[in-house]
Amino acid sequence: MSHESLLLKDDAVATEILADPAWIRIRDLIYQVSGIYQAENKFYLLVSRATRRMKTVGVRTPREYLDLLTVRPNHDSEVRSLLNEITIGETCLFRSMPQIEALRKVVIPALVEAKKNLPFTRLRFWSAGCSTGEEPYTLAMVLLEEAQTTLKGWNFEVMATDLNDRSIAKAQEGIYNDYAVRNVPPEFMGKYFTKVGSDFRVADSLRPLVNFSRLNMLDDSKMLFMRGLDVIFCCNVLIYFDAKSKSRTIQHFYNALLPSGYFFLGHSESLFGVNEKFRLVHFPGATAYWKAGQAIPKAGAS
Amino acid sequence: MKTESLDRLRSRISRIDSMPSIPVILRPLLRCLDQPAEQVDMNRIVELVSYDKAIAAQCIRMANSALFSRSTPAETVRAAVMCLGMWRVRDLLFSNSLSQVIPMERWVLDPAVFWRHSLGVALVCRKFAEMIEYADTEKAYLAGLLHDIGVLVNCMVAPDEFRVTLDKASREQIPLDEAERATLGFTHSDTGRVLAEAWKIPADLIEAIELHHDIGDPKRGGPLVALVHLSDLLCRMRDLGYGYYEPRQVDFANEPGWLYLVMQFPTMAELDLARFTFNLDEYAKEVGELVATVFAG
Repeated sequence: MSHESLLLKDDAVATEILADPAWIRIRDLIYQVSGIYQAENKFYLLVSRATRRMKTVGVRTPREYLDLLTVRPNHDSEVRSLLNEITIGETCLFRSMPQIEALRKVVIPALVEAKKNLPFTRLRFWSAGCSTGEEPYTLAMVLLEEAQTTLKGWNFEVMATDLNDRSIAKAQEGIYNDYAVRNVPPEFMGKYFTKVGSDFRVADSLRPLVNFSRLNMLDDSKMLFMRGLDVIFCCNVLIYFDAKSKSRTIQHFYNALLPSGYFFLGHSESLFGVNEKFRLVHFPGATAYWKAGQAIPKAGAS
Repeated sequence: MKTESLDRLRSRISRIDSMPSIPVILRPLLRCLDQPAEQVDMNRIVELVSYDKAIAAQCIRMANSALFSRSTPAETVRAAVMCLGMWRVRDLLFSNSLSQVIPMERWVLDPAVFWRHSLGVALVCRKFAEMIEYADTEKAYLAGLLHDIGVLVNCMVAPDEFRVTLDKASREQIPLDEAERATLGFTHSDTGRVLAEAWKIPADLIEAIELHHDIGDPKRGGPLVALVHLSDLLCRMRDLGYGYYEPRQVDFANEPGWLYLVMQFPTMAELDLARFTFNLDEYAKEVGELVATVFAG
């Protein structure tokens, strides 16, 4: 458990937060520009990260900081710095268990069902903005596990792209410290990692499944070539895009997906007002955006 | 459910020695709250709270809990009621009186899990009603709170079969009503309706209890049924269900109940469902605190 989640229990902090409406406005501002929403039970996170920024820039009250984020010159760059703080350390293997459960128990079976009459048995996932590789390797592990049951006899691959060459090089190494693997379930740890000194190296069985490449998501000419995907993950990347780029990128994702494909954002990111074609769907503890196909998974009616 | 089998169920329920009886304070409480919030008489609420020592103690305990972090402790019922506010006091009174409906030893499932779900649905229903500007948010709250009271009847009339049903539901990860149909031949919506009729609660609440799983033609039940149906689904998707994983995909915007509400309430179109969903995790904390208070002794 990280230091910050311990703070959740600190009710003095919680009271102080709710006492100042400027925090609510900062939260709403962040939601408006990035789509990242901090529910009240996650407020401690926003507050602790913003407080860190406030110390750096020498601001004392949330009210002053709100001005810095909205009206002062260079407010865009401060918003960016705050977003960096908020998402820092978010990258780890098995980042969101509810998303992984939804993949295994609902999404993959639904895709198999939707594709059962097609001549090829193949699934393609894309981790867009894969950073240092935690997400694509996680997806590869999930697919390999499902290959024992639901995906028996299927082919699959994980495309992993990032803008940053250094991140990609690091991703290709596939070596992680104990903090990055803290959420990996023990059965996966044993199967897919070997200990190298104090670090962990991903197994060779995973490597051929993941294809790393450099891609700028704002480059339309490159995005046009991304096609035939079943699942796209793009977590905490679009938050940095302005409204227009965001909407264009999401349209690219929509086109890249096959009918019945799924698009996952970070666990508290939302597409509200950005794209009307995707349908927001709920799984236990997770949400995703769905490109409705002909085959509609059993939904709603009970 | 067909009239014939419903009659059979009624007679089965009437034969058991201890039909859950309506809690003493429930009726006066309903009456007292059946008026606009600004006209609710605080003195009457304090009186109702003081009427039951256990509830009074719970109010005081909750007012002094971490949720409020007061600098000076609330020592009187009045101070506690003022601190908690109308809604929380009412939540506490309802869940408390309802949790006494059946004796502790007759529960087939963990009562804390049951109340977590019922209170969760109640809160979501009220919030949902507010957001779409449905006129009677209090009724929405009540409908949510009471929607699963049939579960209490099941514990009383068929404890052994109901235990099997709950096991089946969580083992096979299927909705409770589906498991009930397979093992009992009736659902908690059916038994809930019978109990609600016996308690003589308002007809639209009875409908919400009866139809919350099978809303059928949404026009029949109206907005209240649709609200309860959607809030129940939402809670089950957000860890406020019956404590087991339901592997399913819910496309709310294409649920019949949702489509019906969109036609009735223009503000529905503006609703940011993703944000609403993220906020549910906030209610989970409040619900947890409330349930802990009620079951702390």
